[in-house]
Amino acid sequence: MLIPRKVKHRKQHHPKRGGKSKGGTTVSFGDFGIQALEPAYVTNRQIEAARIAMTRHIKRGGKVWINIYPDRPLTKKPAETRMGSGKGSPEWWIANVKPGRVMFEISGVAEEIATEAMTRAIHKLPMKCRVVRREEF
Amino acid sequence: MAEITINGNLRTEFGKGASRRDRRAGLVPAVIYGHGETPTHVSLPARELIAALKQSNVLLDVVVGGKTELTLPKSITKNPLTSQLEHIDLVLVRRGERVTVEVPVHTTGEHDRDGILEHVNNVITVEAEATSIPSFLTLDLTGMKAGLSLYAADVPLPAGTTLVSDPHMPVVHLSERATPSEDTAVAATPAETPAAEAPKA
Repeated sequence: MLIPRKVKHRKQHHPKRGGKSKGGTTVSFGDFGIQALEPAYVTNRQIEAARIAMTRHIKRGGKVWINIYPDRPLTKKPAETRMGSGKGSPEWWIANVKPGRVMFEISGVAEEIATEAMTRAIHKLPMKCRVVRREEF
Repeated sequence: MAEITINGNLRTEFGKGASRRDRRAGLVPAVIYGHGETPTHVSLPARELIAALKQSNVLLDVVVGGKTELTLPKSITKNPLTSQLEHIDLVLVRRGERVTVEVPVHTTGEHDRDGILEHVNNVITVEAEATSIPSFLTLDLTGMKAGLSLYAADVPLPAGTTLVSDPHMPVVHLSERATPSEDTAVAATPAETPAAEAPKA
């Protein structure tokens, strides 16, 4: 699973969820991609689940790119704890994904296989997404 | 390269309110600048502009207040979800002037089926005369073997165009097809509890 090796601050504020993605909105490396249509916090477990769903469907061949990285920690206080006594302990690592971001890319497989693999991956993700293809102009 | 004439209006009010009114009316806010001139704020018809921008590095003859300016799109802002044009920066150019632009690279030809094509860089930077900028460059992949790369220097350029990008910059790479291993595709996890390893803030 994707986890930062070292962080400057162990506990951070929640990342801002407003606005649209400023970059990474087109398919850059592969032929097809999964584009986010809503803002969401995507955890490293969800990224891994989506990657496994894709690689298992495409079997041999094909290449998958992950264009997001879960570099933001989220904390959680233990159950049945009174308020106060400081911030909770880090519980999740998330990527702050904004609408328009192409999160995964795939190449080296036929369009039908790529579309099916990406649909399976979209089911593992916490927001509405769509499959986009490479644009050449 | 094609030259397209577009009639624009001079903008008199600015800010997000005025820009949104323009967009609702089917116009795109734009700015024309360059050559030390005072920037001109204009609005251009969205429909004609989208049609014109179907090819990259198109030359636009913008007619504003009876004056025609020869311009080149410098920066295009689009909504990533709807692909609606939100703003465009146009830079003034003169005929015969040499400009540095990014040109998309298209690939043709059948490469080795054992390889997976990776587009490492989709554009290369070239210097060309403003009126003869290529819309795209074509890189032939016929006979390319798995494990090999093609570089910016391998892209054939039309006469009068010179390469500005690093000649050793990879454009495409044909990686070898291997059985996917679920453990190796993503960087190994250093620890199950990362907070334990992270320095305390």
